[in-house]
Amino acid sequence: MQSSRIVLHKLSKTYKRGDSEVRALVDVNATFEEGEFITLFGPSGCGKTTLLRIIAGLESQSEGDISLFGNSPAQASRLKNIAWVPQSSALLPWLSIRNNVLLSEFVNKRADRIVGSTRKAEDPDEVLADLGLADFKAALPAQLSGGMRQRAAIARGFVQGAPLMLMDEPFSALDELTRDSIRLRLLDVWEKHRKTVVFVTHSAFEAVMLSDRVVVMTPRPGRIHSIVDINLPRPRTREVLESREFEEKVREVKHILREGWGQDE
Amino acid sequence: MTNLFTKSNILRLLAPLIVFGLLYLGWQWVALNLKSILPPFGNITAEFLDRPGFYFSNLWVTVQAALIGFAIGGISAIVLAILMVYFDFLRAAIIPVALLLNVTPIVAISPALIVAFGFNAIPHIIVAGLAAFFPMLINAMSGLRAVEKETLDVFNAMSANRTEIFFRLRLPGSLPYLFSGAKLSITAAMVGSVVSEFMGTSKGIGATIVMATTFLNLNQMWVAIFLSAVTSLVLIGVVSLVEKALIRW
Repeated sequence: MQSSRIVLHKLSKTYKRGDSEVRALVDVNATFEEGEFITLFGPSGCGKTTLLRIIAGLESQSEGDISLFGNSPAQASRLKNIAWVPQSSALLPWLSIRNNVLLSEFVNKRADRIVGSTRKAEDPDEVLADLGLADFKAALPAQLSGGMRQRAAIARGFVQGAPLMLMDEPFSALDELTRDSIRLRLLDVWEKHRKTVVFVTHSAFEAVMLSDRVVVMTPRPGRIHSIVDINLPRPRTREVLESREFEEKVREVKHILREGWGQDE
Repeated sequence: MTNLFTKSNILRLLAPLIVFGLLYLGWQWVALNLKSILPPFGNITAEFLDRPGFYFSNLWVTVQAALIGFAIGGISAIVLAILMVYFDFLRAAIIPVALLLNVTPIVAISPALIVAFGFNAIPHIIVAGLAAFFPMLINAMSGLRAVEKETLDVFNAMSANRTEIFFRLRLPGSLPYLFSGAKLSITAAMVGSVVSEFMGTSKGIGATIVMATTFLNLNQMWVAIFLSAVTSLVLIGVVSLVEKALIRW
């Protein structure tokens, strides 16, 4: 059955280390609508990356169920319906930027013959141009700056055309100025393609700037404390980001995190 | 136009020239004062120019065995490394055997191989192959395993299969390691080939050295030694050229 939602139902993850057990995630319940920009926000160790990896099918949950538009993570992955954008760009150094963003066309070709795949590959030249990389298509990753490499990694995700993009702190290694401009680029491209995005960050500013909803997570053990609606207008222009409403939303998200964290400690 | 005469370029050229010059002077001093230890360079050069055909024909025998051994040892090492990356059991089983092979002196294996295979090229090829095997195995294994976890995640999120991960990720990513291994292996194969010719044959650079020892012909001995050293350098140079052509990142 096709569904237009991502549903996380009673998810838990426990790591076994020798005789002891570490509970990384406990009783995670959430529903994300198609086309939403969702951010998992919280401090280190709250399980946000673990949750993202479970959604991607890169790790398995100990308990609970996940439905990604009606499919399990493994099924969605087999259909190439998940685009993964990691912390580092993870570009292949021997391929040009254009061939790097076309990676999904070279890999798992059998997925394109399966009926039911909702993936529709995007035009790589258009996506690269939207991300300001039109003049660097033939360049090798080593010839680009860190920010440009990260933009290429985002382009790879969009070009794959998967309905779901999972982004694991993709800007964490960049300097503040680069991060600022790349966030705006991401928003522009996302507005155009409207994929469902689940984005991990530990920056309240970034979470509010990008998202429709922010999932605030608290550690020990990792759990969802609350989900905050970010009802700020789109597109998120500089004016929106410098508005009082935006600042208040950032403060609110931080406050909720402190409140949730304090209760747990 | 780039300036070739920068300070660093001149230093890079000058430093080894000074060392070679000092070595030459030291050599000539020993050759003139202790004649039984080293012959003068002029005599070595004259010996080579007197019968280059003799030296090149013997060198070719050695190089052939080294190259065939390098090819067989190198390819076997790469194939085994690929299997060892995918099968933990094979890795556990083969590493101790490879280590044992690596610590066994090649000179000790040579007579056994001559007894087993007779007085032909096979024992020399096997020794060269064994010498080439270990450096290639270790480098190939390191290269094939040196895949960043985050890149692997990108492939796994798309459900890439093992073959795709191997050909699209592991193999191209391991090329720098394979070439480092090839440079070590081809030198080791050359050394193995020369050393194995110390017995069981009258052809090759190793045999030429042994012959020179028998007749106390220092000039012949040093021509053979220099020729094998220069050949190793040329072989490393050829591998480096292929590396530069293939690895552009």
